[in-house]
Amino acid sequence: MTRHSETPTDDDERMDFEDAIVSDSEASADERIETDGGVGTPFEVVSEYEETRRDRYRKLYDAYVHAPISIIWRDWRARIGFTIVAIYLLMGTVGPLFVEPTSVTEGPALAAPFETMEYPLGTDNQGRDLLSQTVHSTSTILKMVLSGAVFTVGIGTIIGSIAGYKGGMTDTVLSSITDVFINIPGFPLVMVLGLMFDDQILGNPFAIGVLLSIASWGGLARAIRSQMLTLREESFVEASQAMGIGTSTIVFKEIVPHLMPFVVINLTNAGRKVIFEAVALYYLGILPFQDLNWGSILNQAYGANAHARPDAIHWFLVPMFAIVFISVGLTLLGQSLDRVFNPRVRARHEKTTADVEGDGDGETQTQDAMGV
Amino acid sequence: MILNKYASTMVTIDWRIRRLGQAVFTVWAVITLSFALVRMLPGNMMGAMITRLARQGINPARARELVEYRMTIDPDAPLLPAYLSYVSETLQGNLGQSVFYSRPVVDVLAEALPWTLFVLSWAVFISFFIGISIGALMAYWEGGKLDIGLTSYAVLMGSIPFYVLAILLLIFLSYRLGWFPTGGRQPIATDPGFNLTYISGIVTHAALPVLSMLVASGVASLGMRGNSIRVLGEDYLRVARLRGLSDITISTQYVARNAVLPMYTTLLISIGEMFGGSIVLEQVFQYRGVGWYMLSATHQRDYPLMMGGFMVITVAMVIALLLADLTYGYVDPRARRSQ
Amino acid sequence: MTVSETDYQPEPKQGDSILEIRNASVTFDMDRGESRVLDDVDLDIERNEILGVVGESGSGKSMLASALLDAIVDPGVLYGDITYHPPDGSPIDILDLDKQGLKELRWEEISMVFQGAMSSFNPVRKIRTHFVETLDAHDYDIDEGIERTEGILEDLYLDPDRVLDSYPHELSGGMKQRALIALSLVLEPEVLVMDEPTAALDLLMQRSIISLIQEIKEEYDLTIVFITHDLPLVADIADRIGVLYAFEFVELGPTGEILENAAHPYTRLLLKSTPNLEAPIETMQPVEGSAPDPVNVPSGCSFHRRCPLATQECRDVDPGPYDAGGSHVSHCHHWESAREEIPMSYDLKEIDTGSESAKIGKGDTASRTASAEPVVSLDDVEVHFEKEKGFLDMFDEPDVVEAVDGVSMDIYERDVVVLVGESGCGKTTLGKTAVGLQEPTGGSVNYRGHDIWDVKAGDGDGSISWDEIRRSLQIVHQDPGSALNPHRRVKASLEAPLKRWNDDLDGNDRKQRILSLLEHVGMSPPEDYIDRYPHQLSGGEQQRVALIRAMLMNPDVIMADEPVSALDVSLRVEMMDLMIQLQDTFNTSYLFVSHDLSNARYIAEKTGGRIGVVYLGRLVEIGPPDEIIHNPQHPYTKALCWATPELGADNDDDESPIREIDIPDPTNPPSGCRYHTRCAKAREVCRQQDPGAFDIPDDDLHEAACFRVLDDHEYWDSESITEEDELVAQGDD
Repeated sequence: MTRHSETPTDDDERMDFEDAIVSDSEASADERIETDGGVGTPFEVVSEYEETRRDRYRKLYDAYVHAPISIIWRDWRARIGFTIVAIYLLMGTVGPLFVEPTSVTEGPALAAPFETMEYPLGTDNQGRDLLSQTVHSTSTILKMVLSGAVFTVGIGTIIGSIAGYKGGMTDTVLSSITDVFINIPGFPLVMVLGLMFDDQILGNPFAIGVLLSIASWGGLARAIRSQMLTLREESFVEASQAMGIGTSTIVFKEIVPHLMPFVVINLTNAGRKVIFEAVALYYLGILPFQDLNWGSILNQAYGANAHARPDAIHWFLVPMFAIVFISVGLTLLGQSLDRVFNPRVRARHEKTTADVEGDGDGETQTQDAMGV
Repeated sequence: MILNKYASTMVTIDWRIRRLGQAVFTVWAVITLSFALVRMLPGNMMGAMITRLARQGINPARARELVEYRMTIDPDAPLLPAYLSYVSETLQGNLGQSVFYSRPVVDVLAEALPWTLFVLSWAVFISFFIGISIGALMAYWEGGKLDIGLTSYAVLMGSIPFYVLAILLLIFLSYRLGWFPTGGRQPIATDPGFNLTYISGIVTHAALPVLSMLVASGVASLGMRGNSIRVLGEDYLRVARLRGLSDITISTQYVARNAVLPMYTTLLISIGEMFGGSIVLEQVFQYRGVGWYMLSATHQRDYPLMMGGFMVITVAMVIALLLADLTYGYVDPRARRSQ
Repeated sequence: MTVSETDYQPEPKQGDSILEIRNASVTFDMDRGESRVLDDVDLDIERNEILGVVGESGSGKSMLASALLDAIVDPGVLYGDITYHPPDGSPIDILDLDKQGLKELRWEEISMVFQGAMSSFNPVRKIRTHFVETLDAHDYDIDEGIERTEGILEDLYLDPDRVLDSYPHELSGGMKQRALIALSLVLEPEVLVMDEPTAALDLLMQRSIISLIQEIKEEYDLTIVFITHDLPLVADIADRIGVLYAFEFVELGPTGEILENAAHPYTRLLLKSTPNLEAPIETMQPVEGSAPDPVNVPSGCSFHRRCPLATQECRDVDPGPYDAGGSHVSHCHHWESAREEIPMSYDLKEIDTGSESAKIGKGDTASRTASAEPVVSLDDVEVHFEKEKGFLDMFDEPDVVEAVDGVSMDIYERDVVVLVGESGCGKTTLGKTAVGLQEPTGGSVNYRGHDIWDVKAGDGDGSISWDEIRRSLQIVHQDPGSALNPHRRVKASLEAPLKRWNDDLDGNDRKQRILSLLEHVGMSPPEDYIDRYPHQLSGGEQQRVALIRAMLMNPDVIMADEPVSALDVSLRVEMMDLMIQLQDTFNTSYLFVSHDLSNARYIAEKTGGRIGVVYLGRLVEIGPPDEIIHNPQHPYTKALCWATPELGADNDDDESPIREIDIPDPTNPPSGCRYHTRCAKAREVCRQQDPGAFDIPDDDLHEAACFRVLDDHEYWDSESITEEDELVAQGDD
């Protein structure tokens, strides 16, 4: 027997206590109705008051804004991940306003980082500012990440949910398709497709993001399907069916919350994968590009034999750092975001007044969240 | 419920045959996709090849024949017969003729494939060995300094694309320190064969590509850590301790075995990413494997070789996953009944 | 417990104790303070006895089990003294043993059977390996040990070769449990500690294993400590019974004494709250309140908050052991008055009829005359599941599980039917079919005369809508933990049906209604509960919420799937009373599903309902509870009655009425009467012909599907087939 099963009342007792403190005594005096009073049964009781709009907004704010942020801010990984991602978002949106675009022979060739403050990260062999290149390619990459991650997670979740919820022949067909996509290596396929559609995707980062993700939803679909198979059998789903609640309500209200931790982790993983693959394709020179980006900087550096030249090493390191740093941010964020959907954690954060404990959130959550 | 409870005790078709069928289905799907890319989709390769030949001044009829010879697809036949003959040619191992090398695609790739498999199998093996060992260490000292340190390592490893590590290794270990060759797959000046210099040459050439794939150990170690911690809390482990089993039996047969088995999914994903990644990897190290040929064919618009590379990498991966699945069934008795 | 007001000394009678436990405590360091999960326990276990230890969940009983092997899991700390007296040699202080000493003690001298047999075996190794590695680790001769193992397995009615060469997942729960018992005996221990060894098993299997334990004890000369939450279960085999409450023993004595002359209010209340087949239902009453938190055990007597006899003394002074006569010890200051003030079932004259639950009494019998129209009627319903097929299985012969096969049954207004049977017998599927949650593959389910699946498909006559039917048939699930969505608060879960069906209500109305309902089922103040997540509720509270959710629909029939089996024994009666009371309020009918005949009897008798017995997808007998329990016609019903543990100490009728312990594979059910493979009365005709339902002459509500009901059936001339089976349990009739 574990310690928990012997001491099951852990949370309950504490809740009793806290609730007793915070419960609004004024309201309860008004609201309490004698069960054998005027109304026939407690099943016919109605309220004397109208619900105000303000009440409703306050509840929404508490559930969707206050609680998630309060949960995220408790976790150091989330704080770091959130900060990193925020930096990139700023770089992608307002960054170009502050950093001038760069051009050939703007500065000296291959200036080392921090040599002059004018080119803090150094320059490439044609004198272009690497900081400017990095900042100006961020928004393109972010657009790819956005469309790619949304596509992967969207398709994966939809295919997986339908296969799992419907079952039968639908499941057989969808699962077979999913298996094919799991069994073929994505990168070569994406490479061939990128080559074939290079005209269509040139200058359209959203399309590139989708193209890169065309083969990467299989794993998620399979995972969602097996989750769905379990959830479909859960008693609370059956109870909702028995109450005649519609399928879409059941799926969105009863089932989707259980899938959210999965979805969030996969969203960040898919984002990372899009960055990796996009940079790889630009690095290989497969994808056409108009403006320089992290991948094409690597491509030019490699093409100029920068790896063999000691004075050119920053040419590689700057874009590499940009890639790894956002990837760390996404990883940390994905690992910690699932807590937002954990009812045990939520319960401690949603009521502003209940937020008194010191730690308690520190349960180890370092799961195999990264890739699996 | 009832259904699920008893479904598991019933075996309809042998799971191995089912799994084989799935692999065959995948191969068929890939061949069909390839046909579609070459002949059907807008901007297809066949059209591009014919146009290019025509620009070189070859008369259209001859160009079409040449393309049919190279791609094993008749551009003029109706879709279905063309498709059927393409499938049959492909299944017989005729992947067309390389434009650049003027040799059958199969010959070019057959020579390259062993090198790719050599690097990939070592990469998979070593990165999982390291990942699992690290994961076990982290679980054993859960919450300690080592755990925190290794977790940070694992997160960082998981955030580095393998080609970034590859370029860094190339810069520092090959160009700066000169410990490893800067490219290629075998020593130039030695005779191929079973002599020490040649074999050690092969090993040093493959070393950096293999090391670059170690980034996969990050994901593996975090997975292993979680699994081990879970197994450490299982009832059967407690019973085993009470039964007085030796620490070695418990750590190998109880903890390690049960913690490693679920790693299998991670392994599958890694194999997939490594096969796909071989293209970039082989480019960085100028390692002439299938991926290298596929990439250079792409740059040279050598479509038969490119599609051949695509096909070979895919089939190799399908077979690798099939083998992994079948082996898994032998290692985990529970896997034999479902899926 | 250091206070000793009496001259009782817990000194063992010289020579016959095998284990002496003195001042044993287990503490856990928790964030909220130190948690004491075993509190200063003194206990002597006598050689070759079966000691039953009874306690509700969270009473510390598993801690006691672990303590006997010094196997408390980290970070728990065990204090005190535990001394083991081997049959020869000097006493061993268990808590002083080093690693090697512990290894020689555990399994060789004291062995243990854990609660979860399902998870006690390494899933990737064969059963045989578990035996071999155990023998090997203790340097026993392996061949000899395996031979002994085979003997033990045979004693447990298992096929040694088959079991040893299986992987754990290939065995059924009952087989695994028996294999685990064999594993614990492989090193020939002196003491066997069993922690809820039958909790996850079916009634018949449970009863069979209990009988086996008795045999094994004789054969292998064991001392057994049997730990359970189920008092009647252990009453049958234990020589002595100890009752644990709030981490300490409140009472300990010979079984007969505890059952008939208990001297602690908790034991007496527990006995009264335990449904059984014999005691009049009016005497069954719940124990009010709930067990204390281990961090915050009340001072003085830990039971005083729930005790009707509590005085200031109880609040201040921890009651020491009082000798209640006949080596019977009670930790109660008022043990003498407890015997008088808390009457037991056999003191019928003194029943307290004033309490609310007693007032409900026998309900009005539903109108089940021929003219009355049933609310729901099943007509020759069958539900066959096909194993799901993959792409490549299309040409395979499908495997079919006949979960329900040819069942007809009517449920009337304000009716109660309780379906009883072993797990996997199809009773839950049958129940779900009756409330339209499972589509039958054959036969029809009618709601007030309309075939509900026709109505759903749009083939009805239009006089009733699917919505109306859907609303009228509701379900309450077995596991309250999964019946409520863990991601939704109580309010959100209860609002869902209101939003769907009562769109005239706004947010405040809904809240108001939910509040008054929570109050109605005793969850007060309701404002505390409405914003909680399910994990912040106790099992009983979760079940109440699930119950109100179903009631909000104002349904005609509620199918309740094992609604109390997940609750502690002392809470079951309370929950059943609540359900019965709600039936009164709402005029609904219930279709209960239960594996426990005692609970079935309590509900059916209290509401004037019927009990239906289900075996392998068939309804084999149905009738009023009195008839089913005292005049069972079908041999399977008789077996169930036999298997239901009784509190009466006179239950010596240990002759097993079944020939085979294990239930047949439902994908390939036996021909003819499905019970013939296990039936002690089976004859050749049972194998060939399928008995229909026959009316029992004296009672028009009582039917059974057995040839033996008919006096002039060819059965009586048919050949008996009970001799030929190899695994015959304890001599056939």
